[in-house]
Amino acid sequence: MVFSYYWFIFLTPLIAAPIAEIVGKRIKNAAGWIASLAIAISLALSIVLWLSLRGTSTPIHNSYRWFGYIDAGIYVDHLTIIMLLMVSFVSLMIHLFANYYMKDDPRKNLYFAETALFTSGMLGLVMSSNLLEFFLFWELVGLCSYLLIGFWFFKPNASSAAKKAFIVTRVGDLLFIIGLAVLYSTLTAKGVTNPLSIPFIVNHISTIVSDIGAQNLTIIGLLFLGGAAGKSAQFPLHVWIPDSMEGPTTVSALIHAATMVTAGVYLIARILPIYANATYVAPDAVLYIGAFTAVFAGTIGIAVNDIKRILAYSTISQIGYMMAALGMVSTFGDSVIGYSMYHVVVHAVFKALLFMVAAVILLTLMELRDVRKMGGLWRRMPWTITLFFIGSITLAAIPPTAAYFSKDTIIDVAYNFYALHGFAFWALWPWVFLVLGALTTALYTFRMFFLVALGKPRSKLAAEAKDPPKVVLIPLMILAFLSLTLGIIQYRFYDFITPHTIVVSLPLLEKYTPLTMVVVGLIITLALYATTKWQRMNLSRNPLYKLVRAKFFLDALYTRVIAERVILGLSSGVSRIESGFSRSVEGTGKGAMGFGSILRKIENGVVEYYFVFLIAGVAILMLLLEIYGGI
Amino acid sequence: MTFVLYSPLLKTLYPEIFLGLVAFGMLMMGRRVHNRSVYSVLSIVSMFIAMMLLLAFDYGSTSFFGGAFVVNKFGLYFAIILLISSAYIAFSAGTRIEHDPEIFFAILLFVDIAMIIASFSLNLIFIFIAFEGISIGTYILSAHGKTRRNLEASAKYFFTGVIATGFIVMGSSFYYLSTGTFDLISGGTATIASKPALLLALIFLFVGFGFKLALVPLQQWAVDAYDGTDNAVSAFLSSGTKVLAFLVLLRVFLVGFAGLSNDVFYLFTIVSIITMTYGNFAALSETNFKRMLAYSSIAQAGYLILVLTVVSGSSSQLAFTLAIFAAMYYSLVYIFMKGGSFLASNAVNKDKIEIDDFSGIGLKSPLFAISLAIMLFALAGIPPTAGFFAKYYLFLALISGHLWYLAVIGILNSAISVFYYLKVVVVMFRPSEHEHFNLSKKVVIPVLIGAILSIALSFLIFGYPNISGIVSGLGIGV
Repeated sequence: MVFSYYWFIFLTPLIAAPIAEIVGKRIKNAAGWIASLAIAISLALSIVLWLSLRGTSTPIHNSYRWFGYIDAGIYVDHLTIIMLLMVSFVSLMIHLFANYYMKDDPRKNLYFAETALFTSGMLGLVMSSNLLEFFLFWELVGLCSYLLIGFWFFKPNASSAAKKAFIVTRVGDLLFIIGLAVLYSTLTAKGVTNPLSIPFIVNHISTIVSDIGAQNLTIIGLLFLGGAAGKSAQFPLHVWIPDSMEGPTTVSALIHAATMVTAGVYLIARILPIYANATYVAPDAVLYIGAFTAVFAGTIGIAVNDIKRILAYSTISQIGYMMAALGMVSTFGDSVIGYSMYHVVVHAVFKALLFMVAAVILLTLMELRDVRKMGGLWRRMPWTITLFFIGSITLAAIPPTAAYFSKDTIIDVAYNFYALHGFAFWALWPWVFLVLGALTTALYTFRMFFLVALGKPRSKLAAEAKDPPKVVLIPLMILAFLSLTLGIIQYRFYDFITPHTIVVSLPLLEKYTPLTMVVVGLIITLALYATTKWQRMNLSRNPLYKLVRAKFFLDALYTRVIAERVILGLSSGVSRIESGFSRSVEGTGKGAMGFGSILRKIENGVVEYYFVFLIAGVAILMLLLEIYGGI
Repeated sequence: MTFVLYSPLLKTLYPEIFLGLVAFGMLMMGRRVHNRSVYSVLSIVSMFIAMMLLLAFDYGSTSFFGGAFVVNKFGLYFAIILLISSAYIAFSAGTRIEHDPEIFFAILLFVDIAMIIASFSLNLIFIFIAFEGISIGTYILSAHGKTRRNLEASAKYFFTGVIATGFIVMGSSFYYLSTGTFDLISGGTATIASKPALLLALIFLFVGFGFKLALVPLQQWAVDAYDGTDNAVSAFLSSGTKVLAFLVLLRVFLVGFAGLSNDVFYLFTIVSIITMTYGNFAALSETNFKRMLAYSSIAQAGYLILVLTVVSGSSSQLAFTLAIFAAMYYSLVYIFMKGGSFLASNAVNKDKIEIDDFSGIGLKSPLFAISLAIMLFALAGIPPTAGFFAKYYLFLALISGHLWYLAVIGILNSAISVFYYLKVVVVMFRPSEHEHFNLSKKVVIPVLIGAILSIALSFLIFGYPNISGIVSGLGIGV
């Protein structure tokens, strides 16, 4: 039994969660520090693990037979290390900040217990050595997400948003578990003894291909993609993330921006050999869904006025880039993991920063989330908005911020994909989508930033906003520093994940297309939103604007048509049958009770009657035997 | 010169002799020692020694006394579980016996002797004597409390029991008349001199032996007797003696009436359907806790005798093996789930215990309430309790013997039974002001043991593959 220190990377927060809840009940401020300490330990252990694995490419694999053909345990390779460092670091920053953000909440012990549990689940998910174990942690983080979105359950929107998030991701989870079942049953039928083991999938993909064939692998890959799309909020299962913004803002930062939503990307990266060996349908589905989501969600982001929802749509759009990068596996091989994960890490850093800035703003504006009611905040709260500025230019990928390197590389790879497929027309679309995505990113980012920071305060609350104590901004400053500087490690990062990552190069014109798009977006927003011009625009009649405002009617389709008409109708029909059935059961029960009380009258306690009954009974029995027994 | 004691004939009787010596010793001790726990411990220890002596036999299906006494694995299994059930009762009877403990425990040991003899005998005379030994012992046990209620219950039990004894004697004589032997194995295969007389023997023996199992229409004493006697005695009456009566039924009707298997099948089909239904329906509206358990034990007897329908009515070897396994397993589980539930009524300090008297006990002692709930779940046959597996194998035997209609009736009946078992569970966790609970260790521990075993015995189902060696011990040629 090798039970090394690295097990405690996910066990420490798991142990800390109940302690935080119990101790926090007595000592109000202890919960946050217990949770933060536990995650700091996880981060420290992850760093130790990173240092010990840095020089070697041999992964750590410890697993034990759980049941059937399922081994459970730990599998750590370079990809895992990156996720471990990212999750524990971002989580630590957010926990430290949450000590300030949640300071007046009466149930903060519960909050910290749940976030610690969430972090444990996420770290466990990353380290799982088996897809079923992976799925259990996947459900655990889903549960924590549900609990934390509904943390302020007294807000009516919060509880319905929690339900929506849970149900929509459930659709994806269903596809995921069907995929697991198909993979398990097809492989065990071929005599494979540990079919869901991740090292088996990573290292013995040729066995799998020869056992079940590329066609079946494609189906499995598509099912897994469904699970990943649900968790990572890709089209068409993206609708839950904007609603999940009803939770505390630190929760949005931790779960719905930085860590949990990248679990889907991590899943695809983890089992990438499946996509690499399937027929072209599976990787192309990943590519097109990702690229389409990038531009689709970005477009909606332009028309939204709630600051947290703008960031939420931006998250969906950015994850689209990561997915699209993974989808090009058939052309670039393992290198795509590097491209994608680099954006995962950079995005986690700057998105956590942006959300925490939003948290600071919302705290001083008393949860007033409409950007049109803000304005002029740069003068009122210079420190916060400076951090916001750094986050925004990183989001818009202006050089030399980190996202410029991570995101534009993905766009460049997409152009190479087009070129390597002989400039075929179908291969052009991902690049077009991603470039348009860059344009929408610039548009919604600068629109948000200008509306928040510049101009005159447009509400009483905005006029009275002020900076928080500088000490609480320290985690934000660390993240801001990283958003500006992470770009320098780009190639070392790629080589750490997969040695000999392909370095793409492309003609000058195409190289600067995304940057041009950003500049175009900047100019448009400068003209419109840095001035007061936008207040005179009347878009409410514009059909295109109406379409985007209504989120392309997708939410309405899900809730009004599918949920309310189809599922509610079905459920009321079933419930009618059910109530009829239960009435009949009740009737049976009543009848049975009546019958039973008649039977009980036989037992009247008088022995003489008993004899009579006995003799009569025996006589009847003999008669019956006479008839049926056939003497 | 060889001592009589060393002869193989007497070696098999060592456990009985040992228990008898201890019992007489206890009666003599009663002049000086009045501490009931001494007797309790002494009788439990001697029961375990008797078990060891039993296990020390060479049980290669040896027969003694001209085939009247057959020592084999099947009988040994039942002898041992009957001893376990008496030990369980002796362990938990300590609380309520206020005077003359030596008589109570000595009688228990005498009953045990009779039980061991009954589990090995294949001769109607032997069975009759052993059966009467048990009957007389239990008459005394049920009267032991000497309150008016105890005496009334005991009197009813005694009067009806005497009638049943008469039926056994009459049935045995008719059996002898038609087959010319008291031996069950040769009687089952003998050429029948007079078939109507044999049928009379069938019915009369059914009445005599079915009486202890409280099958309809012989059930009426049971409710009064269980309700009126001390809780430990009701537990014994409804678990140990019932299992023994069931074993005797198996022996007499499957071996002794092997030639009349069609009649046996119809008799037990009719009786089991009526008994199950009667017990469950009557229990539904009962408000007295012990009477409810009494009705439920009538219903359980109805499930048990389904085994006889499978063995007599089906020619499938698989169904036969499954049925015998179900019989053995159900008997063992039944001792703890039923006995433990009866012992749970010790927790209420009242004479007539209504179900509502349990309200609030779940908040005072969750351990007790959960234990009782587990045993009730086991009685209802809810997984993962051992009661579920017992019913599962029983119904599986019925289905593999193509008696699916009996399986359906049995399953419907278990569904009905859930109503009244769950009622108790719900009541226990309802808040109330009752203060009449006695939740001392002596009350809670037997219930806890029953609950733990009601779950832990599930693991015995892994013994199913080893069953074939024991099945042959029933005495039927396999």
